[in-house]
Amino acid sequence: MDDKVCVGAIAGSFGVRGEVRLKSFCAEPEAIGDYGPLTTKEGTSFTVTVTRPIKNGFAARLSGVSSKEAADGLKGTQLFAPRDALPALPDDEFYHADLIGLAVLDTGGAELGEVRAVHNHGATDLLEVFKRGYKSTVLLPFTREAVPTVDLTSGRIIADPPEGLFPE
Amino acid sequence: MSRSVWKGPFVDSYVLKKAEKTRESGRNEVIKIWSRRSTILPQFVGLTFGVYNGQKHIPVNVSEDMIGQKFGEYAPTRTYYGHAADKKAKRK
Repeated sequence: MDDKVCVGAIAGSFGVRGEVRLKSFCAEPEAIGDYGPLTTKEGTSFTVTVTRPIKNGFAARLSGVSSKEAADGLKGTQLFAPRDALPALPDDEFYHADLIGLAVLDTGGAELGEVRAVHNHGATDLLEVFKRGYKSTVLLPFTREAVPTVDLTSGRIIADPPEGLFPE
Repeated sequence: MSRSVWKGPFVDSYVLKKAEKTRESGRNEVIKIWSRRSTILPQFVGLTFGVYNGQKHIPVNVSEDMIGQKFGEYAPTRTYYGHAADKKAKRK
């Protein structure tokens, strides 16, 4: 499990007073300001104050950025929140960031692959499972029947997939 | 213009046959279908269909609130990955 989660990116400067154009990747875009100081990949920390919503994102003020030139220089920078800053979830709810990368094993202990992404197309959530050597990925329904165990501490998922889902 | 009520909902006949066969056998399997245009009927609730999206079969667990929709609505033909960020998944 990563200790940092990418929650947004700086798309450029906004105006001439050192504000930035912020792109949020959060489920609720306004929540980007709620995760405390955000850090860049290099480790620079910023306190983010969202000032107002604008087209395709938010205008925001970052601590230590007071000129347009400085804001322009940050264009393309990804912003990360510490994983601990995300609130705890009830049982049977998981952050995508926690599920991605987990090993998927069947009930007999054989390896089925690794979670690459989590999708929701309107029915149940789906885990996209990738196995080395296979051409395409498999979508596994994220239900109690198909995924009886999710063990985040040991980094694995026990799956009991319906027949015909995984190639033999 | 909407479909006339007297015709009833449209379902490809092979979908009905496959669903009935799976329900009778009681096996937990994905029913592979190519018919994205078929309407989801009450007798499909609880079954898992693999709806073709032009590339692969997307598993769709049918629940009550999906009745009356078309299968194709739950199997998009384009994939967008995006960022995980603080998005949540619920195990149902």
